[in-house]
Amino acid sequence: MTAREVAGRVALYALLAAVTFLVCFPLLWAFFTSMKPKEEIFHWPPTLWPQTWTLENYRSLLEGKDAYFQAGAASGTAVPPSAFFLDWFINSVIVTIGTTIISTVVSTLAAYSLTRFRFPGQRSVPYLALIGYMVPSIIFVFPMFLVMVELRLTDTLLSLILGYVCITLPFCMWLMWAFFRGVPIEIEEAALVDGASRLRVFWEIVLPTAWPGIVAAAIFTLIVSWNDYLFGRVFMNSMENLPLTVGVMHFFDGTHVDWGLMMASSVLMTVPMALLFMALQRHLVAGFGAGAVKG
Amino acid sequence: MRFRLSDRQVGILFMLPFLITAATFIVWPVAEAIRLAFYQYNPLRPHDQFWVGLDNFERILDDPLFWESFHQALVWTGWSILFQTVLGVGMAMLLHTALPGIAVFRGLLLFPYIVPTVVIALNWRWIFNSEIGIVNHALLRLGVISENIAWLATPDMAMASAIVLNVWKYTPFVIICVLARLQTIPTELYDAAKVDGAGAMRRFLDITLPMLKEVLVVVIVFRTIWTFNKFEEIYLLTRGGPGTSTFNLAVYAFEEGMANLRLGVAAATGVIMIVLLLVGTIVYVRVSGFGREEKPA
Repeated sequence: MTAREVAGRVALYALLAAVTFLVCFPLLWAFFTSMKPKEEIFHWPPTLWPQTWTLENYRSLLEGKDAYFQAGAASGTAVPPSAFFLDWFINSVIVTIGTTIISTVVSTLAAYSLTRFRFPGQRSVPYLALIGYMVPSIIFVFPMFLVMVELRLTDTLLSLILGYVCITLPFCMWLMWAFFRGVPIEIEEAALVDGASRLRVFWEIVLPTAWPGIVAAAIFTLIVSWNDYLFGRVFMNSMENLPLTVGVMHFFDGTHVDWGLMMASSVLMTVPMALLFMALQRHLVAGFGAGAVKG
Repeated sequence: MRFRLSDRQVGILFMLPFLITAATFIVWPVAEAIRLAFYQYNPLRPHDQFWVGLDNFERILDDPLFWESFHQALVWTGWSILFQTVLGVGMAMLLHTALPGIAVFRGLLLFPYIVPTVVIALNWRWIFNSEIGIVNHALLRLGVISENIAWLATPDMAMASAIVLNVWKYTPFVIICVLARLQTIPTELYDAAKVDGAGAMRRFLDITLPMLKEVLVVVIVFRTIWTFNKFEEIYLLTRGGPGTSTFNLAVYAFEEGMANLRLGVAAATGVIMIVLLLVGTIVYVRVSGFGREEKPA
């Protein structure tokens, strides 16, 4: 390498590092804030690196005690909102997993059926699904709420699962349909000719090949249902039934805002997504690439 | 003898869960949304429903707040898309370079896309806090400003902060799409251009940009439709405030339904949004050629 090439590389790395730092800064700052004791959070001038490291913010989050809040003023209870943090976390996990299982299973079966069998109007289904995907949730949320009232499901985790299925199913359907169209049909036909049943062919031949598509659909569903705020806000009433996203917004209810607690909860909310992201990053790009570039 | 389902039965069986779910939780709500738009409906008195014809629509079109929200939605969408596209293309090109360790940067720069909006809103409220926020502190230190800026408390600054949030979260989407396209441009094109003595700028304008045109049009239309209808990115950061200065149509519909308990008006706003969306979708189908190509994906 010539000196010029080296200089070019160094400049590129410097630029990349600067951009990355800027992009990651809000999250880094949240993390460092969450590790500081209360006095240091309000210290002026602020320092990025905590002088004293502490887990006290996380402890008060998990044990539900805090001195800052005017105990649940807006929620009408005497219990501080942070007392529910663990409940909310578990709710979000249940809802996210439930939605992901239902959405991927239903869309995988339907997309397979749609690409391998003949139905009246089968060509229009993926296009309708794509339109369904573009409809924003704000349009769905109130009529969905009324449907949930009819089904007597309001304020249950099931209503949230069904709500998220409704907003994720169209895209999963479209993704799986696009995927199955690209899977060659010859091996399946050969197996069928050899006398294997359709179900067995599906289970042993189709599913393993469809795995990347299923993973992409699952990641999409996981992200949407873990991150959503709107449905939880409209469907749920009781503090202990809220998903994490709606719950932590109650931290603003009091007269003082406890930023340490706030940043600790934002870190804990991001960690599951971060782990997922690191584990499945390649699929994420492939999945969104397929969804975004092709359609 | 073993029980075996015929092919036809398997096909129907596989389709059933989808049909049932879609009918109950997609078709029914949409029908309900359209019906509600013509009714007066208060969720606290579910049995008093009146057919009001087009009253809800008239009310909306007469409401200055609706037009204010519409105007603000255009401002919000325009700036967001402009910055997302320019930064997205720039960063995609940066990430396309073949450096050792580039995968790490790619991963980190795509990360904002999966961070929950609530988390970003919390972090934004913290870093843009006017008294103890790090952004004001940094700008003061650098001498860019001489006194604290009330980021979330003045109309223009609140809108600007919301746009920054949106750009931060969704630029990775543009990067992913552009990067995917960049990777398919044959490097021979660049080599040939270099031999012909074309500089970096010329190569960008003559090779990269035309190659990206198609994907960029699709991404821009797609992001415009999405951004225009965004709810959480605005509501969680500013609640539409200060006052109503960061309302867009989604926040307007939410407030009508949730705070004013006028579900009919909220539904009518939704219908208007769907009409705008359909217009956008038609544009999208036209420009992307989706539906014309029948190659397997």
